[in-house]
Amino acid sequence: MTEQRQFGEPDHEPLGTDDILSRAIGQWRDEAPAADLWPGVAARLEVRTAPHRTLVSFTLPQLAMAASLLIAVASGMTWLAARGPAAPVDTQPTVVAQSESTGKVEGGIVNANFADAQFNAAVTDLEQILRDERDRLDPRTVLVIERNLKAIDVAIHEARMALNDDPANAYLNSHLADARRRKLDLLRQATTLASAGGN
Amino acid sequence: MPVNDVVLATEGDAAAFERVYRAHVSRIFNLARRMAGPDAADELTQDVFVRAWQKLALFRGESSFATWLHRLAVNVIIERFRAIGTARQRFLADSEAVLEIAHATRTKHLDLSMDLQAAIEQLPHGARTVFVLHDIEGYKHEEIGGILGVSAGTSKSQLHRARQTLRVLLRKEA
Repeated sequence: MTEQRQFGEPDHEPLGTDDILSRAIGQWRDEAPAADLWPGVAARLEVRTAPHRTLVSFTLPQLAMAASLLIAVASGMTWLAARGPAAPVDTQPTVVAQSESTGKVEGGIVNANFADAQFNAAVTDLEQILRDERDRLDPRTVLVIERNLKAIDVAIHEARMALNDDPANAYLNSHLADARRRKLDLLRQATTLASAGGN
Repeated sequence: MPVNDVVLATEGDAAAFERVYRAHVSRIFNLARRMAGPDAADELTQDVFVRAWQKLALFRGESSFATWLHRLAVNVIIERFRAIGTARQRFLADSEAVLEIAHATRTKHLDLSMDLQAAIEQLPHGARTVFVLHDIEGYKHEEIGGILGVSAGTSKSQLHRARQTLRVLLRKEA
């Protein structure tokens, strides 16, 4: 919109100052609403904004599932940790999850960031290592690892789907980042354990 | 109005949005009154601010907030016209109807006082919209054409006829 003009305009026949229409426009005063309209606006804001809030809410079954996943992942990682200390591995890279996208290699540690490409590459590498080394793990250990990886994948998938609808949602972004970090951590522990001979 | 109120309102702060409302309600109300008449102005003003609340996330600051809100208000009001039957097709037909209405009104309301608001209310929605947006609010014909989905030439034609009609209606009161 251009700057407001009193009347007349450059792209049309201007109104003369003695034109009855220009005089009428000049006398056309603003008025205030007879009543305060805000209460009516405010009442409708609550109604209209409610759906936005439900976008990030969860149903009871969803919350229960999320809690189950969290417990499963935590249990799995605790169980893995309890299986034995992570032995130093000279031949395999260690992936460290970081929130910043550095992509640098420092002291033999591969810094994996959370951009999709780097994350996927780190996961692919670790999964390959795990496949190569899985025979060295107890089958029950493999089962727990795979179950927990699947649970984390579900959480990542659901977070991504939710972010498609609400990309700016801070909670969902944080949730996705946490899930991906958990996946990297679990893979790292599993490959370390496998490389150490499952003990 | 502090710019921060718009930012806060964008983040869902209803109290900040009320301050935004207070700062802009007069201009929006008078736009609605002039375009749609006093009877519809209250409800349209509320509609505009509810729509603004819903669309605040789309305000990127490329224009001033007042300009963004004004344009949104124009769209809300025109949507209302269309909802009640003033579709684009009828907009073109309005052009021919303007002077006919003026002649009929002159006979019917020969003894009634008539100010500009009352005269404008005799115009079809299309002609009224073009007149208010162009001569009162300062839009260009190209902008009006874009808003209404008609050519700039149609907007010019509507304005010309609206002015002629209003002059006729006002002169008999002079």
